[in-house]
Amino acid sequence: MESLMPPPVRRIAADRQATVAPAPSSNGGEPALDGAPARARGLSRPDRPRVPAIERMRAENLVLAYGGKPAVKGVSLPIRQGEVLALIGPSGCGKTTLLRSLNRLTELTPTATREGRILLDGQDVDQLEVTQLRRRISMVFQQPNPFPMSVFDNVAYALREQGKKRPGKKELAPQVEEALVRAGLFDEVRADLQHPALRLSGGQQQRLCIARALAARPEVLLLDEPCSALDPKSTEVIEELIVRLREEVAIVIVTHNLQQAYRVADNVAFMYLGDLVEYGPTDQIFHAPTQHRTREYVGGAFG
Amino acid sequence: MATSAPTATGRPLAALARLREPWTDRRAELVLGAVSCFVLALIVGMVVFVFSKAWPSFSHNGLGWFGDTGNVNQQMDRIQQPGTAEPVYDFGAFDLIWGTVLTTGVAVLFGAAFSTLAAIFMVEFAPESLRRILTPTVSLLAAVPSVIYGLIGILVLAPFVGDLISQDRKESVAGVISLTGENWLLATFILAVMIIPIMTAIIAQALRQVPRGWTEGAAALGVNRWRVMWTISVRTARPAIVAGAVLATGRALGEAIMLAMVSGGTAFAPNPVDGLTFFLEPTRPLAATIVFYREGLANPAMASTLYGIAAVLLVSAMALSIGAYVVKQPMKKYGIRT
Repeated sequence: MESLMPPPVRRIAADRQATVAPAPSSNGGEPALDGAPARARGLSRPDRPRVPAIERMRAENLVLAYGGKPAVKGVSLPIRQGEVLALIGPSGCGKTTLLRSLNRLTELTPTATREGRILLDGQDVDQLEVTQLRRRISMVFQQPNPFPMSVFDNVAYALREQGKKRPGKKELAPQVEEALVRAGLFDEVRADLQHPALRLSGGQQQRLCIARALAARPEVLLLDEPCSALDPKSTEVIEELIVRLREEVAIVIVTHNLQQAYRVADNVAFMYLGDLVEYGPTDQIFHAPTQHRTREYVGGAFG
Repeated sequence: MATSAPTATGRPLAALARLREPWTDRRAELVLGAVSCFVLALIVGMVVFVFSKAWPSFSHNGLGWFGDTGNVNQQMDRIQQPGTAEPVYDFGAFDLIWGTVLTTGVAVLFGAAFSTLAAIFMVEFAPESLRRILTPTVSLLAAVPSVIYGLIGILVLAPFVGDLISQDRKESVAGVISLTGENWLLATFILAVMIIPIMTAIIAQALRQVPRGWTEGAAALGVNRWRVMWTISVRTARPAIVAGAVLATGRALGEAIMLAMVSGGTAFAPNPVDGLTFFLEPTRPLAATIVFYREGLANPAMASTLYGIAAVLLVSAMALSIGAYVVKQPMKKYGIRT
């Protein structure tokens, strides 16, 4: 079973080499998928209850560039609550840039420029105050980045900073606990919430980051390869968490791990060199891709 | 030359030739160890020497050395010219110590606050073009010799401040001290200007090293740059702020020339009870006192007194380093490098 679940990033980089050459066996994707590890992990797609989908965000003809060099070329995508959207594609194809632009985090990079519109509930994000926007659209990064504080203070950070009046520890405690429960971390840290966050394991740190993002009750959650630095066990916990959370928040996940995208996503967008090559329901992208490049990429990973 | 060596003076040259071979680790270890031990021995030797020279003054005065046992100016004049065959050691350094604490403390507190804000601006808010000028300028300022600050202080600032003091105020303290432009506040101000660049450079360096993931993560939670700076970056950089403050305190403690020039030149303990006059009162910190009486060193009693002052400064500087080390310890529990 361990051998079926390779550590994602490196393995796929190697696989991608193979996909550059025409992959002969990729036409009939089904056989490979039937034996895919997703089944064995209790996350197999058919078991999943469908939840009503509401469109929360929409990217319209989004063009992003760093110092004039285009990274994302005219991408349009809907983002729905109730459905997880996965962005897949080889390294350096603009997935993360696209993700970061959704809560205007690209603006922290001085050379980055953006064209096109991003709508949150029908409103242009440029018209929202940037801190307000980021409170509604929270983000979890590739490397777990808990702040150098206690577990409690990490989760309470956003609550404290966003409140007009500094809430006391008593008021915060239930909210902090709830966020930790939602992120599936509470049982592990309940004994000592004052434990320094940087002493937690990598998987715990990442779930703490998710708890921190959830504490402020965002409407959209952006996940940038949240599991790439984690072991399979932590990955599984976080994947279950993502599937569970999709009812309450709209989730976009960037991942290099195609099995992961298959397991957690309802919709998949395949990007290649800044272009959105194909977008559709997960089953369609993995079983019956319409684009040649998608077929090569997806087939290479499973083959 | 090398070819004739074996025949002429074989042994010493052979030893020299051996030195030119690549060094073994063992030999490097020995040589480097000897160099470090030499430095260590030098420091220990200096401390012992200073204390032994200072001993007559300390043993004569006891704890009164640190207290207020009369007018220090008169005491030092008597040490210099006792008028008797017996050397006089009577000395109470309270005024000098208070002058040092006041100038150094206020300058460092003010400097730390100012430097932190300046560093935050430099790292986070300054536009790129300004940043490119500011960063090297701050480093350059840190290297300006203190005597230049003293010169500007005494030639430009002191007369200016002196003109601002009203005649009434000068007369109100006539007979005790004279209020001129040279006073502890001016000295402290110049001291602060002197130490701010080095502190700013250290703090800015630390702020730049705060992991991007932390600041970005905080920004992604909808916190503005100013709050991210305070709650994440400055928090993380606290050890550097402490380190900068310690370095600055060390520099301020040992500053002699500039303070001797602008602090007023009389040993006097500025008294906060005096109201506004307090800020205009002269003082003379410890290090400046050594400079002031340098001609008296031929007199063994004066030499011992000055060595006593040096010993106090030495111990203070060491205590500072140890104090900073202790203060930095709690940072480790959050995995902050120190």
